[in-house]
Amino acid sequence: MLRKISLVLVGILIVACYAVPYLLLQSVETWHGSFLFWTLAGVFTIVLNVIATLGFNGDAK
Amino acid sequence: MTMSLVIWGIATYTAISLLIAYLSRVGPSSSMSDYFLGGRAMGGVVSALSYSATTYSAFMMVGLAGLTYRGGVGALGFEIIYFAGVSLVAVFGPRFWAVGRKYGFVTPYEMLGNRYGNRWVAFAAGLVSLVFLIPYSAVQLAGVGYLLAGMTDGGIPFGVGIVVATVLAIVFSYIAGIRSVMWTDSLQAVMMLLAAVLATGLVVSKLGGFSGMFSTLSETRPEMLRVPGVGFFSFTTFLGLTLPWLFFSISNPQVSQRLFMPASIGALRRMLLIFLCFGLIYTLVSVIWGFSALVAIPDLERPDLATSALLSSDLIPPVLGVIVMIGILAAAVSTIDSILLTLSSIFARDVYGNLSGNKNDARQLLIGKWVIPVISLLALAFAWMEFSMVAILAVAASVGLVLMVPATIGAFFWRRGTDMGALVSIIGGTLFVAGMYLTGNSFFGLNVGVLGLPVATILFIGGSLLTKADTAHADEFMHAASNAIPRKA
Repeated sequence: MLRKISLVLVGILIVACYAVPYLLLQSVETWHGSFLFWTLAGVFTIVLNVIATLGFNGDAK
Repeated sequence: MTMSLVIWGIATYTAISLLIAYLSRVGPSSSMSDYFLGGRAMGGVVSALSYSATTYSAFMMVGLAGLTYRGGVGALGFEIIYFAGVSLVAVFGPRFWAVGRKYGFVTPYEMLGNRYGNRWVAFAAGLVSLVFLIPYSAVQLAGVGYLLAGMTDGGIPFGVGIVVATVLAIVFSYIAGIRSVMWTDSLQAVMMLLAAVLATGLVVSKLGGFSGMFSTLSETRPEMLRVPGVGFFSFTTFLGLTLPWLFFSISNPQVSQRLFMPASIGALRRMLLIFLCFGLIYTLVSVIWGFSALVAIPDLERPDLATSALLSSDLIPPVLGVIVMIGILAAAVSTIDSILLTLSSIFARDVYGNLSGNKNDARQLLIGKWVIPVISLLALAFAWMEFSMVAILAVAASVGLVLMVPATIGAFFWRRGTDMGALVSIIGGTLFVAGMYLTGNSFFGLNVGVLGLPVATILFIGGSLLTKADTAHADEFMHAASNAIPRKA
């Protein structure tokens, strides 16, 4: 369940990567506009992948 | 920057890499899966570093920095959307891994051929990937050529730079196949990241630190900190650039083939997570590097040359400049040698094997080894033509490879998908892409980056619905694929 939720959140994050900078941050001309948003999107991508692969801990071949 | 420093730097890098490649040998490779997949026994850390070095090429510190210089922060968005798309590995990674083991696949297209029960699917996909990935390799070679020529004021001519990169890539591929590629990749990944972080940190500190540099940008070029900024990253352009890259991790065989290689599902996870950490740092560093060039040298005519201009400037001490240059050379070579190896396995297995009907593994291995220098020379010829905008051409390759995505997704998630659907989407999609490029790349105002995937998807679904599916084999394949994913996860 946690895996599915985190993968859906990655999908939402990707849509946000298009929508937020082009719709909400168009007038912010500092580093804490689109630069910060996309950087945080990168960090969340890592966190969501950690969660999505929590069950992949077996070393079975 | 003195020529002797550059030449010493390249010689040292070559000697260390050759030693690592030599040490990576574990005896003669006797099979395709041993030579091209490392016997499906690669550890997570080496896999991750090699995946990083293969994915991130000269494009990052040359092309992406150039894109940042030319279009601003949209370059970061472009790369972050690709980065988020790597999450597809969390979905497809275990599936590729499981069916690779069960059926013994060496290439991703062999997998498609098996799933759809038609060897011509593998043949067509293999051929298309050869057509698109040779220009992609050429782009990497050209990156090296520009860099070396730019840093030495033409002392190392463009042609010499691309020949050096080609020879290194061939040698790293030949010594021990994927083992030498992965071990040299790992060394090169560490080198390229360390060099980039050091140089960017130094330049940014000289430009007043992170906040100082961005304050200058806010005052002098504020439009560079938003999209569409100067207009380069209009929404349509952004969509056309990003959509093909979003699927890079399953559309580009040099990385999707890596999903067959980890020794265990745990190693696959380590590969993904370490790669993501590496990728985020390298992405941010490359974009900040591009911004620092914009602040330090604002009037360059060609954004492609932003990196070499910055490296030759007073902001970077000569020794560090050479280290960064070698880091970029390593990034290019580590991408090219992986592509070479993947393409030669595709040629041997999917093109030659299916065309001749010769399934002899030893024979295919021999063909695969022969074809490495042939493909390299083709890429070299392409690079010699000197393209003006490195980044745009790299994306053109991704547009072609994204045509394989509907058939790949369908293989695991749509039992009604058929061989006809796969063939029509790959061949029809390729004709569409070629037609778009030949007619000005605009259809109702949309470019092929936006349209390629929807067209291939419609063709795949339409072609599949019009023909009868072998659902028994599809069920068996899909069951084997989903078995690797832990139920409680």
